[in-house]
Amino acid sequence: MIRWFLRGVSHRKLTTRFPRAPEPAPSGFRARALLDANGGDLDQAWRCAEVCLPGALSVDERGRLRLDGSRCIGCGLCVEACGDDSLAIDTGYELATTSRGRLVVGEDAREADISPHPALGAPFRRSLHIRHVDAGSDGAIEQEIAALLNPYYDMHRLGLFFTASPRHADALLVTGPVTGPMEQPLRRAYDGMPEPRVVIAAGTDACSGSIWTEPEVRGGVDRVLPVDVYIPGDPPSPIALLHGLLLAAGRVQEASPPALPGDASASFAQARGAA
Amino acid sequence: MIALEERTCRSADIAAELERLGGRLMLLFVTAADSGRELCAIVRAGDSTLRLRAPLAGRSYPAVTPRVPAAHWFEREIHDVWGNVPEGHPRLEPLVRHGPERTEIALPADGDTSGGHRGAERLSGPGVFVFPYGPVRSGVFEAAQFLVQTGGEDVAYCAQRLFFKRRGAERRICEVPLELAVLVAERVSGTSSVAHALAFSHAVETLSDTPVPDRARAIRRILAELERLYNHLEAVVRECEDASLSVAQAQFAALKERLHRLAGETVGNRFLRGAIIPGGVRLDLGSAAASQVGDALRGWERDYRQALAVLLRTDSFLDRLVSTGPLSEDDARDFGCVGPVARGSGIDLDTRRDLPYDGYGAFEVSRHGDGDAMARLEVRFQEVTSSLELIREALGSLATGEIRNPVGPFVRGAALGAAESARGETLYWLEADGSDSLRFCKLRAASFVNYGIFNRLFDSQVLTDFSFIEHSLGLSPAGCDA
Repeated sequence: MIRWFLRGVSHRKLTTRFPRAPEPAPSGFRARALLDANGGDLDQAWRCAEVCLPGALSVDERGRLRLDGSRCIGCGLCVEACGDDSLAIDTGYELATTSRGRLVVGEDAREADISPHPALGAPFRRSLHIRHVDAGSDGAIEQEIAALLNPYYDMHRLGLFFTASPRHADALLVTGPVTGPMEQPLRRAYDGMPEPRVVIAAGTDACSGSIWTEPEVRGGVDRVLPVDVYIPGDPPSPIALLHGLLLAAGRVQEASPPALPGDASASFAQARGAA
Repeated sequence: MIALEERTCRSADIAAELERLGGRLMLLFVTAADSGRELCAIVRAGDSTLRLRAPLAGRSYPAVTPRVPAAHWFEREIHDVWGNVPEGHPRLEPLVRHGPERTEIALPADGDTSGGHRGAERLSGPGVFVFPYGPVRSGVFEAAQFLVQTGGEDVAYCAQRLFFKRRGAERRICEVPLELAVLVAERVSGTSSVAHALAFSHAVETLSDTPVPDRARAIRRILAELERLYNHLEAVVRECEDASLSVAQAQFAALKERLHRLAGETVGNRFLRGAIIPGGVRLDLGSAAASQVGDALRGWERDYRQALAVLLRTDSFLDRLVSTGPLSEDDARDFGCVGPVARGSGIDLDTRRDLPYDGYGAFEVSRHGDGDAMARLEVRFQEVTSSLELIREALGSLATGEIRNPVGPFVRGAALGAAESARGETLYWLEADGSDSLRFCKLRAASFVNYGIFNRLFDSQVLTDFSFIEHSLGLSPAGCDA
């Protein structure tokens, strides 16, 4: 045992400084698609939308592309198929939002959904106890959640803890698109939690159902429970999960919609006009 | 490409025929042929792979399970999904279908040995109770339920209940456009994305006679072995956690994290998704990226060896694993186990050698004869070494040239695709209907067969062995449930 002690104390520090300092993201990472809301003619738009398996990209009646970031799995096929500048890949990790509408770029994105949510999590600012429920994930996100305890992320330093009982929990961290047999256990875990409580949908399949459809799955956690924080990603990286947990605790800003930076203001203005 | 020997028999004779053939039952399912439903079995016997077809005359047929125990979950699945009744199956209760009525705890009947229940030895009496553990469990785990019967400390009986996570992957693979179906396969078991994408792609490549360029084959091997590394490390991390070795857990978790970061940097996804497609690979590994992978793994191996040397001298770790969760070679063979679970019980089997694909050459299969949790872990340690060697070899043999060929029109009606995931043999059976779309898909992850023997590992075990036994199997409920 002394050998482990010596290995422990002699090891250099690995832990990220996030959220006090930004975490460098790998350059080729495919976190999600970004859309220029003003780009793309009709022919092109159909070609982009056709290769989108979860239906994150669609074409409205005026031939414009619409991107629903709560469905995007970051496969990057749309960027390959379109081959113009109207789509790009985001390498970032600040993806979590407090509403699904804020993940949408396109004409029907409503201002109410885009404007920042009233401050979340005032009671949880100092510590957040989390109960995880798997409602049918593919299993990768559980490993990313468990990775929050490894020395690179060490979520305990931020006052974030996993708890075994819903009775102790402030937050319900739900993964998976909610399969039929998991609907009831999920509701029971939620009902067992004291108020105030937040529900976090972690991963694209929890946010929207992703590539899965009825009858086996309900199509996202918000079909079953009121969701306070959405963390898209397939799976979201540990740092993206950390951002989402801190958002639930009211300690970081939520993500902007998945619009290309140069045209973000234009699409906001357009969306406001439509609303 | 897997060459299949075709045989046909009457459905009344299939049990006898399978028993006569011997070998390992890989798949058993019902499919709708042009002439009506038929029962289809894929068997590995000696060096050949057989497809045994038996047209189903009526709704029921004589069950295979009494003669071939490996069929026990397959036949319950057939009963649930297709409604065909395997007459004489010793335990024909729902497996994949969950309903609100399934809240009671069903213990096996006396003398029921299907699925290896030690039915006759069941405990009864005052103080004996059944503790249902799951599907929402303490800690961060996938949804699965275990019914543990105990009088306090000894586990008298433990039954596994899976399929809480069934998402309809087989249906989705047939529904979506063929060029996107590999994205579904990647998400069946998210920690084995590469193996599932490979097995699916192999089946599509056989259906369409599409060759895979040499460069793509080398890249596929690199990705498949990288996936094996982080899955084997996950098993080590979990066992360290169970043994309350915090420093060891932190250090092996950090080693695992480095592999995911390497995956994220080279492929753009920490679980290597979006890289493999039928006909080749989507992303090339340039010379800069290749040398980056080589360098990263050299440093990684040095740190891994140092941590491992200390772990293997930590008595409090070894004490918990040695003789825990014993699985006999006979059980592993009878129930058709695959992967490190089978190899830890001395069975000589590895898809990479037996049904070779993507340029895997001859190599020594890692085996261990003890059949306990430590043996399964030892197999993984040996495989980490061989995976690193395979990656080095593949990085050195990256041929120049194309990385993907277009998938041609389908020339065959049905094909089997296989790949060895970190958990064992992964299978995809695909049927095409003449056009270029899939009519039928049957997939079988390694976890489906390995979960079938979960209850056999608790012979004279105690409650605190539970997590060691579970994590020594290293299974994926998502893959099992599909």
